[in-house]
Amino acid sequence: MSGPDTQTPVGASVFLSLSGLDDLIRSLKQSGYEVVGPTLRQGAICYDRIHAVQDLPRGWTDRQEPGHYRLERREDDACFGYVVGPQSWKQFLFPPMSTVSLAELSTDGWRVTANDGANEPRFAFLGVRACELAAIAIQDRVFQQAAYTDPIYAARRERALLIAVNCTQAAPTCFCESMHTGPRCSSGFDLALTELDDGFIVEVGSQRGATLIATVATVGVTDEQLQWAEERRSGARKQQRQMPRETARDTVLGNLQHPRWSEVAERCLSCTNCTQVCPTCFCSSVHEVTDLDMTRVERERVWDSCFNLEFSYMNGGAVRNSIRSRYRQWLTHKLGSWHEQFGTSGCVGCGRCITWCPVGIDLTEEVVALAGGST
Amino acid sequence: MDAAALAQALSQTSFALTLPAATITRLAALAQPKSLASGATLFREGDSHDGFYIVRSGHVVLEMGIATRGRARILTVGPGELLAWSTLVGDSRMTATAIAQDDVELLALSGRELAAACEADHELGFQIMRRIAQGLSKRLLATRLQMLDLFHADASAATGGWS
Amino acid sequence: MTTPNAECRSTSGCHVSTVTPANPWAAHSAEIVAIEPDYAGVATYCLRLTDPARAAYTCQPGQFNMLYLPGVGESAISVSGYDAASDAWLHTVRTAGQVTGALERLGPGGKLALRGPFGVGWPLMEILSTSASDAPRDLIFAVGGIGLAPLRMAIEWSIRERAKLGRLTLLYGARTPSTRLYPAQLDDWRQQGIDVLTTVDRFEPGWTGQIGVVPDLIERLKLRPDRTTVLTCGPEVMMRYTARGLIARGVDPSDIWLSMERNMQCAVGFCGHCQLGPTFICKDGPVFRYDRLAPYLDIEDL
Repeated sequence: MSGPDTQTPVGASVFLSLSGLDDLIRSLKQSGYEVVGPTLRQGAICYDRIHAVQDLPRGWTDRQEPGHYRLERREDDACFGYVVGPQSWKQFLFPPMSTVSLAELSTDGWRVTANDGANEPRFAFLGVRACELAAIAIQDRVFQQAAYTDPIYAARRERALLIAVNCTQAAPTCFCESMHTGPRCSSGFDLALTELDDGFIVEVGSQRGATLIATVATVGVTDEQLQWAEERRSGARKQQRQMPRETARDTVLGNLQHPRWSEVAERCLSCTNCTQVCPTCFCSSVHEVTDLDMTRVERERVWDSCFNLEFSYMNGGAVRNSIRSRYRQWLTHKLGSWHEQFGTSGCVGCGRCITWCPVGIDLTEEVVALAGGST
Repeated sequence: MDAAALAQALSQTSFALTLPAATITRLAALAQPKSLASGATLFREGDSHDGFYIVRSGHVVLEMGIATRGRARILTVGPGELLAWSTLVGDSRMTATAIAQDDVELLALSGRELAAACEADHELGFQIMRRIAQGLSKRLLATRLQMLDLFHADASAATGGWS
Repeated sequence: MTTPNAECRSTSGCHVSTVTPANPWAAHSAEIVAIEPDYAGVATYCLRLTDPARAAYTCQPGQFNMLYLPGVGESAISVSGYDAASDAWLHTVRTAGQVTGALERLGPGGKLALRGPFGVGWPLMEILSTSASDAPRDLIFAVGGIGLAPLRMAIEWSIRERAKLGRLTLLYGARTPSTRLYPAQLDDWRQQGIDVLTTVDRFEPGWTGQIGVVPDLIERLKLRPDRTTVLTCGPEVMMRYTARGLIARGVDPSDIWLSMERNMQCAVGFCGHCQLGPTFICKDGPVFRYDRLAPYLDIEDL
């Protein structure tokens, strides 16, 4: 049992029972957090507001293949016994739709008030996977730069509390291990859970996490429990797919005229699914939303995609007219030029783009083909 | 202009820039200086013409006649560039009218003599023809750029931003 | 018409004064104080900022603003001058899309908003710092069409810094004689010692200048390639062949700078639209050193 006076230090672990998790969720809500976690929705595990453990997808798991996703019952009642669904935390930190500014017309002219982020919500994310922690770290670099910071992202990110969950299984589409982004949650979280049969090993990752876990009843962990947790986590290291992490950048950037781009373009529908499910894709467009007398105009930023023809439009036409050039833009950006822009790959190996591609295009396979290997 | 001065003048043109000295001397022997006053006509479209020219200084404007439009000016030829190449690679009939835009200094070679020299010495012929091909290739690129009409509203900058 | 002193570009770009990250969506209020027609479809809009934050606004040659017409949208327009008498920043705009069409309809006195300045401008300080008194740098402005607008402030700067620079040459290609931008200024610049060579794609009666394209002019130029810096702006195809022509004449690719255009929406590298290879045209450019961009310019649809 620990209390405010004897907080679990950062880096240490405690045991939290299932009912303790319920208490934790309640405690977060009482502290003013909107708690978001996995829920069952429309045949998938989606992130949504949760109020208690019973909202979690207990006893469900996901089966994923290229172009395939189905839920199945588990043999146990695990709360986090799935891998990743179509959504990521991106939709909360970088919302699909957000108002960036308000323009009001008076006799003096237009007065524009930019969203400074002050009214953005305070989230607690429950169930953040290692690849998702990596994705958040990547978007941190995208939206928080020296000269400009995106006020909406920055405010939500600063306030967000991250409760990670270590994966105990991998989908056939996972390749985080080869991207060095998982499966173990190693940093960037406030708390990290590993699910056991009767509760959770909770690792404290930050002072904020230490303060939070002190608000609920926990007990010390036994060596046996730590060993069980390690065994559970090892289940996530059995990954079928790999990305050649060291060479992918040169492979995609060094083969801009490779015939493979035309081949993949014959399969690619340019549907934008991969960019919507990708936890790091950040492209957006801004639209005007006016009131009826055109004196009050909001600017609304919405997710966009480099797969849309209009995305590269300049007067006179689009720069990237073919699916070949748009797929090439996506993959060379994600695996190649992202490094130069942000000092990291844009891929975390979550496999969502493989699962949710209607025709099952597999980027790991594309990279191997571009490198000249057989597929 | 004596032979040495002609060779010197020739060697200063971009046409002759990388030619061996001996070749320049041979070409200079076929060349004569020619001056045009501003407004003077060098040749007319449809003329059978024996001259072949390298512009040393000044500008020559090329025009083509169109029945309903009169003479259309299509191109300005400037220093280092070739004029009347139809003499060598065509049937000697000029495809445009050439008029001096300002005071022009040319090196004039007889097309017949130059063609004969190229026939007699294929190495010389190759050097000459390669340079003519390079000149034509530049002219073709310029013509394409003109044809693309890059500055027409819809082909250029959307916003008037930076192009 | 004058421009403010152009103190441009430390090595890290033009945002050196920014200490805390700025909100990219903040906008100035602005009004149109005058519209100067340039030629059919193109006009120069003189915009005065009217909000309390206007005093902080300054901008460097080659940077751009996002002109914002609430309810219509934004358009990226380079700044082409400053008129001290009316305290107005000049934006030469071709009426082409919705935003520029709406701007045209606003007319003098019209109200709008403006975000900016954005991007990295021309490397003017670098040029000065490499211009030695015994070998001053020659500057060539190689310009096509409305591309003269983003270079106007740089040309005026070069006149002010005349004593520290070598030969100044403006190669200007336009569609026709009557669609040359700023024709009166071209004459002024000639008077002030810039060698102004103009060429047009299409002849019009009365034109005594050249007919042809900017790469033709480069062929004929007397160059000192080892001490020449080139600033080019125009359609991408024109800039590409201009650069190739200059390099063939011995100019180092790292001494050629070009200003690029792409679809821009956020102007700070967040929205992803304007990428070319690893660059965001909006924040890494729009002005780039040619050798850094060359690998990406020749690949179709990149």
